Amino acid sequence: MTDHALPDRTDLHILAALQDDIPLVPRPFAAIAERLKIPEQVLLDHLKRLQDEGIVRGISPILESRHMGLSAATLIALHVPEKRVHEIAAIISSCPEVSHNFRRNHYYALWFTLSGKNEEDIQRVLTEILRRTGIPDTDVLNLPTTRKLKVDVRFSFLSDEERGGTFGSP
Amino acid sequence: MRSGGVPLDPLDLDLLSELENGLPLVKEPYEEIGTRLNLTGNEVLERIRTLQAAGIIRKFRARINQRRVGISANALVAWKRADSLNGDMGSLLASFPCVTHCYERLPVPGRWEYTIYTVHHGYSRDAVLAEIRTLAGHIGVHDYVVLFSTEEFKRVPNVRIRENGSTMA
Repeated sequence: MTDHALPDRTDLHILAALQDDIPLVPRPFAAIAERLKIPEQVLLDHLKRLQDEGIVRGISPILESRHMGLSAATLIALHVPEKRVHEIAAIISSCPEVSHNFRRNHYYALWFTLSGKNEEDIQRVLTEILRRTGIPDTDVLNLPTTRKLKVDVRFSFLSDEERGGTFGSP
Repeated sequence: MRSGGVPLDPLDLDLLSELENGLPLVKEPYEEIGTRLNLTGNEVLERIRTLQAAGIIRKFRARINQRRVGISANALVAWKRADSLNGDMGSLLASFPCVTHCYERLPVPGRWEYTIYTVHHGYSRDAVLAEIRTLAGHIGVHDYVVLFSTEEFKRVPNVRIRENGSTMA
């Protein structure tokens, strides 16, 4: 991230404010700007830059999967040979049913989420992934979601000084 | 009607599909979205309110790439349910502000007995680990596995009208 301007204090205040729902009024940015005590145009300019730099991925609705016909979901963990991690991860990521796919520091190195219309739908995708990658069932953990208790991604954004100048370190 | 039981007309799908690209960064963004769909700004707002009231829109806010502001540590924690703990361990864990996601999942008997999962974010692994230890101490549960992410291959919303929305038709 060294090739980008670091977020300034105003950016951090804006990011914090953007974690609340966008106001459903004709001029939502004017409403947010008023709360932040900055002019509407200044907010819009900062937002454009934050979005251009990929810090803000966009302001859009998060849809409830159950209402959208996706009523089954699972988390899958795979043990894979070290040298096949990237090849297998690419196969997994290519499936539209997969929304999150991470490597984690564990014997089970790949962790991904699958959602579908029902359990059969999910099983079909998982079977296909295992067939394409040749991973045996014994190297798979299938952990179906039984209860979604919380999804509320909210960060406390600290300025550089506030977290001891570790900004941007990997 | 789909399995969720909430009616969604074609115009709602077009609207959600437009909004998936992000609210335009202009003074009257709903008006602009409306222009693309032959709706007034107020009609757009009304539809969004209705979708929100029906629970179809869960949240409407910025998606932030937290890594780009230095929040680079991400841990998934798998917890084993403690018999000693009275009450609902999942709800208890979910109630802590530092937990961004909390799910209950089926175990794999004999191989993986963890059933409650939380997600944590922070500026460093040390900070995240300290937070998890404090949390564990608070609830008195010490059988858990911390899984830090070391590489991110895919991270998209789990409902994408354009990509996997066909399941809704």
